[in-house]
Amino acid sequence: MTLPSLFDYRDVVGKNVVEELTILASYVGNRSIKMVNSTAVGGGVAEMLHRVVPLLNELGIQTTWEVIKGEAEFFDITKSFHNALQGKEEYFRKETFDTYLHYNELNYKDMTFEEDLIVIHDPQPAALIHWNPNRKNKWVWRCHIDLSHPNQQLWHFLKTYVDQYDAAIFSSPLFSPELAIPQYQFYPTIDPLADKNKELGRDYVDSVLDKYGIPRDKPLVTQISRYDPWKDPVGVIQAYKLARKYVDCRLLLVGDKAADDPEAEKILQMVKEAAGDDPDIHIIYLTKSIASEINAFQRASDIVLQKSLREGFALTVSEALWKRRPVIGSAVGGIPAQIIHGYTGVLVHSVEGASLQIRGLLNQPDVAEKLGKNGHQRVKDEFLITQNLKRYLLLLLTLERPNESTIFLD
Amino acid sequence: MGDLFQFSSSTSLGKLTGRRAQDLEELLELIRTCPDSSIFYHTFSAFRKMREVQVPYNNDFAIWISQNLAEEALPEKLTAIELAEHNTIASLRKRIVTIIEDYKKEAPEAFARTAAKPFYLCDAVRIVYLTDKFAYNLKSFREALDSISVDSIYFHFIESRLHTQLQTDDFSRWIDESLDMPELAAKIRNIDMHIYTLEGLRRKIASLIDGHT
Repeated sequence: MTLPSLFDYRDVVGKNVVEELTILASYVGNRSIKMVNSTAVGGGVAEMLHRVVPLLNELGIQTTWEVIKGEAEFFDITKSFHNALQGKEEYFRKETFDTYLHYNELNYKDMTFEEDLIVIHDPQPAALIHWNPNRKNKWVWRCHIDLSHPNQQLWHFLKTYVDQYDAAIFSSPLFSPELAIPQYQFYPTIDPLADKNKELGRDYVDSVLDKYGIPRDKPLVTQISRYDPWKDPVGVIQAYKLARKYVDCRLLLVGDKAADDPEAEKILQMVKEAAGDDPDIHIIYLTKSIASEINAFQRASDIVLQKSLREGFALTVSEALWKRRPVIGSAVGGIPAQIIHGYTGVLVHSVEGASLQIRGLLNQPDVAEKLGKNGHQRVKDEFLITQNLKRYLLLLLTLERPNESTIFLD
Repeated sequence: MGDLFQFSSSTSLGKLTGRRAQDLEELLELIRTCPDSSIFYHTFSAFRKMREVQVPYNNDFAIWISQNLAEEALPEKLTAIELAEHNTIASLRKRIVTIIEDYKKEAPEAFARTAAKPFYLCDAVRIVYLTDKFAYNLKSFREALDSISVDSIYFHFIESRLHTQLQTDDFSRWIDESLDMPELAAKIRNIDMHIYTLEGLRRKIASLIDGHT
């Protein structure tokens, strides 16, 4: 399948938005970027790079992408780093840090770093900078994870490398630690032309609902999230049951199963018990989700819920808002950045709050429609891939003028 | 034929500062001491985004106070600040500080309240650039108006006064001074930004031009 070109985005974001990207790119001029991460497939970072790299090239920025290599022991360590940086208690031995550095050094010897800007994604390759002390180019560390409460022992070790960068990028002020280097904010973004978000025909949406046996006779309230306690699927069922006393509707829960998550089966059992024998609750458990089907579930929904107890950025909210769905989201993680309460969706803090909002929105379709419309606009302004391209262009311009707070280009 | 009008546009890259406020006293301290670019981010830049989704505030301070401190009068007072009347960040900052200080005398209990979620002070690098769109008379201006971005409309209608140090927008000034159409210029100058999205503003300016005989 041919990937969409920049030209194809004109119809969804507007011709003038794409034109201004090309103008900004012309001011950036002949520059190059190298992206470095730890995996070519799977996960949000690889998914994003697959689209951003060709589009930056189309804008005239020579952009390459390299994936670091390592044995299983390295990736076991970086997985434990990932969890610990998000707050998990763990003690790391010196040998663990030495192994991490060993693989970073091997990768350094195997790679070149001649580009104007090197963007290192996440902790796995973060120490690569250590072997480039006399560099002339700019190095930026793009952290996609929540570093607000990191394991202190690990962070103390990693920070010595992060401090060597010219700048760092975080998804939200909520996720950033204290650093001496400049920090930029890049919101995560969705691709409006990806299978998960592109426009779908009514027939296809209906066929997906038929496939999973979901009648279209009642309003549909949906949460699409992994079966994980932090996504609070049981709380969603409780909110639905409270609302159901006053409004007739169906509840759809859709989630996939993380291969490395032994807890998922247990959670699913709790969800089934909470649902009981209510025929209007549909629990779909996918071993591997199909993006276009997720898209169809969202488009078929009258309300989309994201009632998490703890979250990363939760781009599922932007996905639903982009489809003009009214979204009820918990006020956690990155959700309040996407939902301005009462204007681009509603924020809730409890099962009861979620239930009241389900009742309110199903009984006031004009309010729901307005929230969906404003939510779509909010995503268009901040959370689309074209904004990500723009931020990389602005970053190139900004790093060349580190002391200027206003840059005039003429 | 009037002077050439080359459309500019502006954008900004958000920066994180690590500074935060948990109550009104701390917020006031941040506002007093932060760089001009932070004030710009939380006012001019925030207003541009809020306009598009019809949020009835024009700055991040007001929305944080409203949603986290359950105070309504102070956000209203802060939102009543007309950004377009401020052609320097210094004067805008002074106005915000005065309103919050006055509110402390009026409602000291509000300053004893702690927010559940902190206010995160951000910053921005602004980038102002020329586009490839030009106008040399009213007809070409009207044609360009349909094709420029909303960022460009916002820049010329609101933000550019931080550079010109004038109390007026670029469009009405050019129409007045270069095209010698003071009546049309006055109508455009008097548009109330608070009731329009930027697309709505584009349509309003277009309708004033179309209705001009």
